[in-house]
Amino acid sequence: MAAEHADARLTRLLALISYLSDHPGVPVPEVAAHFGVSEAQVLSDVNLLWVSGTPGYLPDDLIDFSYDAYESGVLTLTDSRGMHRPLRLGAIEAIALLAAVRSIEQMPGVPGQSAVTSVAAKLAAAAGEAAAAASAVDVRLARPAVAAHLERLRTAIQDGRAVHLRYVSGADVVTDRDVDPGALLHDGERWYLRAWCHRAQEIRHFRLDRVLAVTVLESTAEHPELAGPDVAASAEPVLAGTDLEVSLEIAARARWIAESLPVESVEELVGGWLRVRLRVVTETWVRSLVLGLGADVRRVEPQWLADAVADAAVGALAAYERLA
Amino acid sequence: MDPAERLLDLVIALTHAERRMTKSQIRAQVNGYDRTSSPEAFERMFERDKDTLRELGIPLVTDTAAAHADDIGYRIDTDGYELPPINLTPAEVGVLSLAAQLWSDASLSGPASRGLTKLRAVGPAPEPDATAGLTLRLRAPEAAFESVLGALTQRSAVTFTYRAASTGEVRRRIVEPWRLVNQRRAWYLIGFDRDREAPRAFRLSRIEGRVRTTGAAGVVSPPESFDAGTVLAGAAREQGTARLALLPDRGAALRARASAPAAPLADRDVLEVPYDDTEALADELAGYAEAVVVLGPESLREAVLRRLRAAATLGGRS
Repeated sequence: MAAEHADARLTRLLALISYLSDHPGVPVPEVAAHFGVSEAQVLSDVNLLWVSGTPGYLPDDLIDFSYDAYESGVLTLTDSRGMHRPLRLGAIEAIALLAAVRSIEQMPGVPGQSAVTSVAAKLAAAAGEAAAAASAVDVRLARPAVAAHLERLRTAIQDGRAVHLRYVSGADVVTDRDVDPGALLHDGERWYLRAWCHRAQEIRHFRLDRVLAVTVLESTAEHPELAGPDVAASAEPVLAGTDLEVSLEIAARARWIAESLPVESVEELVGGWLRVRLRVVTETWVRSLVLGLGADVRRVEPQWLADAVADAAVGALAAYERLA
Repeated sequence: MDPAERLLDLVIALTHAERRMTKSQIRAQVNGYDRTSSPEAFERMFERDKDTLRELGIPLVTDTAAAHADDIGYRIDTDGYELPPINLTPAEVGVLSLAAQLWSDASLSGPASRGLTKLRAVGPAPEPDATAGLTLRLRAPEAAFESVLGALTQRSAVTFTYRAASTGEVRRRIVEPWRLVNQRRAWYLIGFDRDREAPRAFRLSRIEGRVRTTGAAGVVSPPESFDAGTVLAGAAREQGTARLALLPDRGAALRARASAPAAPLADRDVLEVPYDDTEALADELAGYAEAVVVLGPESLREAVLRRLRAAATLGGRS
């Protein structure tokens, strides 16, 4: 286990004293589940509390537990050294939680919306002055129209069922595939499904706005653990494999490419232009990107890709003339 | 010794101090400080620990004895220590558990999970299924976030070096901060630009170097209400309904968003797709090249043609 920050542990130690003061005789596993930590961690915390107290640190100065109860795996606090009162929220803690709850409030498909609204109000009341600062942090979630997919996939995840997806890739290719859905992720802009794809035989992220149809299957998901919460440790969906390296010279206005795509390197050029190198999965994808950038790209490498982009543009202009 | 053990003993000692504890008393009496090798090592450790306690919301107050101005004492204000009563339901604790996972980096996820721990101490067990399967993860804010947030809470102006996206120009800005906004996976500061004398949005990733406060605290008063969306967009974005002619079997993602099918044109399917940003849709549509032709409106058609004409000059053969 990575070393825990002292502030996190101190917070939990104080929280444990409050919690155990209110709940005498709680089994260790229940305490662990309540705080979302391992039983070993709870025991280690209790052993630390047992030797803590007021200066002097004689037996009567220390926090104390019932030893008999402890021997049978149950925690009963017998002396809290006056630390039983719950600690208030720090300003940045209140801001981080309140801004997060207000973000969730905007998420479509969050069940029990009333709990989201009520907990926001309770937090604001408990936070006092910090609540005013929290309103200075504002998360504006995009709301793509994917509510029907979202609901169906959520149910499938809860029921442990496999689903059939009809999906269109960024290269405009439609595929059918069976997947074991693991989690629905929202990054503030889009929804993604993380799933074990039977066709690719690996974990894939599917953009919900590119899902054309969802059918819940009779079969149960075989690999739900491969897409479960442990994998969720990665902050952002991984969207790209990496086969083809390209280099683009882009205008300052297209700086978002350097900021939001997984670029290999960024070089500042004269006049605010940038040279970015990035690895991409398919030629089709990067060709679409460059076409959309228009005059904000002035140079593309390799040369064959530049030619392919130009050919596609010439072909499109001809189509416009034919339809005019 | 675990630093958390020393911190806990410090909190307990300062809570129980008859009136206050001086630094020398702390060093002599509190478990963990007695092992520091030198006065300097003690000073450094104690300064860090004071910051930690304050960040956790523990009301550490200094108390200077009347007779000796340089004799600083510390205590914990027990009246300000306690969390006000907050009666959480199991569903609400479930929401808080989801909320604590929202931030993907330490600068906000650490504080959020500490907050959750404190609330768990007084709350019931969470309702397990309240948020199962859903995860909201926001991109970590840039380093500038913390300084800007600090300036926002003390209502002071900030100054920083900024690279403008439209021109690439790098300039020093003085801004009265109003709000930090996350939109489309990016963080922005919205505030009043003193040079331009107008509200502006600044993408945090384009701030170069440090953000410093300038002038007095308490001078910035954000307007009661303002439309963050308008400031972010720069100008109002153009909405509309696109009429598109698609080659058969192409543009499945567009077809999924179509509001109404229309009569076909030559060998193409015609459909209508609503949009809220002409330029963003033009980026997407130009990417389809000849598979998608814009029939209207004219502003969208022209935006796509502009992109295609520029791209047509990229090749070596032209």
